[in-house]
Amino acid sequence: MTLSILAIIGVTGAALGIGTYGVRLARTTSDLFVASRAVSPWWNAAAVSGEYLSAASFLGVAGLMLKFGASALWLPIGFTAGYLTLLLFVAAPLRRFGSYTIPDFAEARLPARYMRLLAAGIVLLISGCYLVPQLKGAGVTLRAVTGAPYWVGVAIVAVIVALNVVLGGMRGVTYVQAFQYWVKVFAIAIPAILLLIHVGGLPAQAALFGNELPSTGPNGMVVELDRPRTLTFPDTGETRVVPAGQLRLPPNTAVPVAAGIEAQTGDEWSRPVSESGRGSPLLIYSLLLATFLGTMGLPHILVRFYTNPDGSAARRTTVRVLGLLGAFYLFPAVYGLLGRAYTAELYVTGDTDSVVLLVPAATWPGLGGEILAAIVAAGAFAAFMSTASGLLVSIAGTVSHDVWPGKRRRGRARFRVAAAFGMVVPCLLALATREVDISVLVGWAFALAASTFCPLLLLGVWWPRLTAKAAAAGMLAGAGVATAMIATGLIGDFPEDTALGAILTQPAAVSVPIAFGTMVLLSLRERAPDVGALMTALHVPEHARA
Amino acid sequence: MSRLPSSDLTEATAHAAVYLRRLRREQLRLALLSLVAFGGAIGALPLILYLLPGLQDMQLLGVPVPIWLVVVPPFPLFLAIGLLEQRRADGLDEAFRELVEEE
Repeated sequence: MTLSILAIIGVTGAALGIGTYGVRLARTTSDLFVASRAVSPWWNAAAVSGEYLSAASFLGVAGLMLKFGASALWLPIGFTAGYLTLLLFVAAPLRRFGSYTIPDFAEARLPARYMRLLAAGIVLLISGCYLVPQLKGAGVTLRAVTGAPYWVGVAIVAVIVALNVVLGGMRGVTYVQAFQYWVKVFAIAIPAILLLIHVGGLPAQAALFGNELPSTGPNGMVVELDRPRTLTFPDTGETRVVPAGQLRLPPNTAVPVAAGIEAQTGDEWSRPVSESGRGSPLLIYSLLLATFLGTMGLPHILVRFYTNPDGSAARRTTVRVLGLLGAFYLFPAVYGLLGRAYTAELYVTGDTDSVVLLVPAATWPGLGGEILAAIVAAGAFAAFMSTASGLLVSIAGTVSHDVWPGKRRRGRARFRVAAAFGMVVPCLLALATREVDISVLVGWAFALAASTFCPLLLLGVWWPRLTAKAAAAGMLAGAGVATAMIATGLIGDFPEDTALGAILTQPAAVSVPIAFGTMVLLSLRERAPDVGALMTALHVPEHARA
Repeated sequence: MSRLPSSDLTEATAHAAVYLRRLRREQLRLALLSLVAFGGAIGALPLILYLLPGLQDMQLLGVPVPIWLVVVPPFPLFLAIGLLEQRRADGLDEAFRELVEEE
């Protein structure tokens, strides 16, 4: 525990240190917004990957795998596929167009003041929905690892991230995020490899891949419950409320599961694709589509393309990101597998999201496990901080550049004020929603990104006939349908492992075609706009512009 | 007989517009082709695993083959397609530049 505290202090201190170094580099407005478009591909690729690998990737993939089974392993594929599509369709043209923010691009490509405001509103909504869970994750993790009160973790991440962004802007944050990528890759890979060597292969094969349920083992199991839980006992099939406190389970019985978790045999659990439930092909395709299209529209990722020196460098950066993400995503599955063998008590508490944090000490009791636990805790903090920094840059850039107009030379001061205040609201929300499950916010952010910015960028870059009115109508239609479907899913409380429930929590498969269709049909009804100069700006390579 | 500068300019602009449209179409075709390539491969994977449930009984280093198939090969595939597309797209840009400079 002491080691974990030291590791977290180390990684947050290093972030602050590198950020302070970056402050000296951040002199101009362009430094703050787009790092003066001078970040080399390797630095930028590490920074993009650092920004993208959030709590959802570091803790969430393994947690969902433990909870629902190997079907969760499709998530990283969808995330990475979104990046590849950005490379194919968006990276170089977006950089060549030379905007500061996504709303900037929207108004320049489709000349109408309302395009800027609409895009700005959506950027703020998506970034806010995504920032609150990062802060919550920090609070929960610090409490789980060190026993500190929830607000301490939230406050540490909020203050350090705000300081780095206010002082260093995009320029300073880029170096911090690049550093944090390497922390994360190291923190997930090294413990995974060492733990596998230590145990010499996977134990409890029958519960992992065979026909048995996870068992309490020959000595039974003792679980601390911090609040009452509704548990289902697979051996008897009974479901009852168990009070808070110590729960003693007899030896060699099946581990009871908390509400929302289904007891699965190893064979059911380990199939990436199955006949029914979450593993059914229909639900997998829905998940792949939602993550893939959503990634393409995340504003804090898109704004990163502007930091490249030119369009060709933007392409090279994105290819490197594909390699860096792939290296990271090899490892969450290891924690899912080890977690099922060594931390089955998480099925009882329902806190499956902490499996990555708890597996090292459970798998390797003693000093070795403690050191590895400290390393993953540091990695988790790097994940919260780097994603939160990217989101705050995106919020501050949009507020100071698009929403709050003023003299251009005052841009620096406005960026800094916007960054400081941009952290206050999400921080208060994170403190207020301590006991509320807000995972729906992340789903909503992804659905909004998929149904608004994804069609806007694809059509805006490649289809000269797109008009401002049609684009605005399409974005509103996509956002409206996505929001309505998610709200219906919340109110109706449909089980997520049915086709209806899945489509209502991941509405992209419906809302994205509606957004595209609206944009195309309405554009075709108007006269083709004259966009020769805009298409030149998007597609002519820099070196041919003399 | 020398041509008027204005007609020269119009002609150059008209040419440039044609070249630009061609460049845009070639880049779009390349991007769509790459999308179909990786979309086809990744899109087929769930279906293959669904149609061949027996793969689950085959193990590699103690882990069922379908888990390996989902965790490992998609990522090198993404990288390979990305690398090929980036080279080809930069090549198209370069060809466009040479064409414009010849004018």
